Amino acid sequence: MNNRELKSCADKLRLEALRMVYEGGDGHPGPAFSIADIISVLYYDEMRLDPTNPDWEDRDRLILSKGHACTIVYAALSTKGYFGEPVKDFHLRELGSRFQGHPVMNKTVGIDITSGSLGNGIAIGAGMALAGKYLGKDYNVIVIAGDGELQEGVAWEGANVATGRKLDNMILFVDKNGWQSGGSVEDTVGANNIAERFTAFGWYTQEIDGHDYTAIKDAIAAAKKQSGKPSAIVCSCVKGKGLPFMENDNSWHKRTPTAEEYAQAKKILGGDSI
Amino acid sequence: MTGFHGTREAFAAALTDMSKTDDRLFFISPDSLKAMRATGFADAYPDRYIEVGIAEQASVDVAAGLATCGMIPFVATYAGFLTMRACEQMRTFVAYPNLNVKFIGINAGLIGGEREGVTHQFYEDLAILSAIPNFTIYTPADAAQTYKAVEMAAGVRGPVYIRAASGREEDVYGLDAPFNPEGMTLLRDYGSDTVLFASGFILDRVLACADRLHKKGIQVKVADVNILGIPNPKIVELLGTGSRVYTIEDHNINGGLGSYICHLACENHPVKVERIGLKTFGESGPAKELADHYGFSPEALEKHITQTLK
Repeated sequence: MNNRELKSCADKLRLEALRMVYEGGDGHPGPAFSIADIISVLYYDEMRLDPTNPDWEDRDRLILSKGHACTIVYAALSTKGYFGEPVKDFHLRELGSRFQGHPVMNKTVGIDITSGSLGNGIAIGAGMALAGKYLGKDYNVIVIAGDGELQEGVAWEGANVATGRKLDNMILFVDKNGWQSGGSVEDTVGANNIAERFTAFGWYTQEIDGHDYTAIKDAIAAAKKQSGKPSAIVCSCVKGKGLPFMENDNSWHKRTPTAEEYAQAKKILGGDSI
Repeated sequence: MTGFHGTREAFAAALTDMSKTDDRLFFISPDSLKAMRATGFADAYPDRYIEVGIAEQASVDVAAGLATCGMIPFVATYAGFLTMRACEQMRTFVAYPNLNVKFIGINAGLIGGEREGVTHQFYEDLAILSAIPNFTIYTPADAAQTYKAVEMAAGVRGPVYIRAASGREEDVYGLDAPFNPEGMTLLRDYGSDTVLFASGFILDRVLACADRLHKKGIQVKVADVNILGIPNPKIVELLGTGSRVYTIEDHNINGGLGSYICHLACENHPVKVERIGLKTFGESGPAKELADHYGFSPEALEKHITQTLK
């Protein structure tokens, strides 16, 4: 897809994610919008997937370590046809819904691992990448983590494993939007020097604009060329990217839009949802 | 069958033997290769020995990732480092998605932990896992049973926890004895004065106690409970044979065998259940001296049961 098409897809995913939150009355739109462009490139351009065969053993894996952003992945799965026709009523976070508040692999087709408890995606991804190496498969394991969740110790345990086992079939996207639930990352822990940390851990580390489709694609291509090293793509992102009233307003970490806000979003993001 | 002495070697022997015919089996080591006596496995199957370093949470996550791809990982290290430090990973990323990961927790109990002291003795592991759905919990009583338990775990779909120790355990079962899938084996049946339910590595002591009671004219049954948490009609049947029973375990009296038997009694045959086990932290000391000191000698058990059964 060209960049214009990817942007169109990303905005559709954003609107679909917001619709879920609006209709369900709960959710995390800001963190979802932050990674919408990355998700658009992955699902529409980069990942080897077959929605008609979601358990295909040669598929690329995606781990949404920052599981609270799941609406954007649910939107991608829906538009890619994982549930047959695009889902009309998600019933996000409602009793009995297959679309849980955080991703659940046994409830939602296309989810490769249950997630939402922060910090664990890198180590789980290392396990999937190890299996790929052992089985002689050429799939890639994509992990998407937030910058805030990298305060969790287990994330760096996982980073060590990936380095030590030379997991060059693993690509980590860090959504470096500078925010976490309680405030800014820097205010919380003093530093947000994610790229330096992954470099120090022995990862091949790139820093890009997480909303630049060409940069995302180029970074993936460079990561795939690496031998013997896992890759970290540290993406400068804007939390809430795509809606001016949401961007960098951390109250949208978890917030439901009003009818007016939702109507405004529809105008900005291109009309009705998918 | 690879030879072994003690529960740790039994684990390594079983895994090595099964790996000859099952290429899905992995050993995930949070720097526990030596502790698990698994260097032989690592030498034989280097691509299935995954060293993650001193990082228990990552060890469980890595295992979960492998399991999603059809592998059968065994994560084996100290019981508390698994069930406490990596408790959430065992719950959320293995038990909740019901992934096919197996856990071996060593240094369980005073006998398992012996001279290292409280940081390396764990008597809470069964309580923790008992509250998590989808876990199958095995409490083998000796090395031979541990070997069989590891074999059985590999054939069960879903998470399994096997309680193991340090190598100081006494052998009770023969090498050919199966790990009883019914979850309970009656090993003494002297009479109906009471039932002694035992689980784990104090079984030899409970049997010795029963033999001493028999000579004194108190006729008891001894049941080895090797699977916790399952509905168990055989145990329920035994509960119906007396008005007072005892549970004896090298674990805190809350959350392990005692709680399990109380649960079965309350719901099926209300009888008086006395839970014998740990109520405090332990301390350093040789395994058998520790067990004696904390009330698990056959003499102390005999005395207590004689006094309380009247």
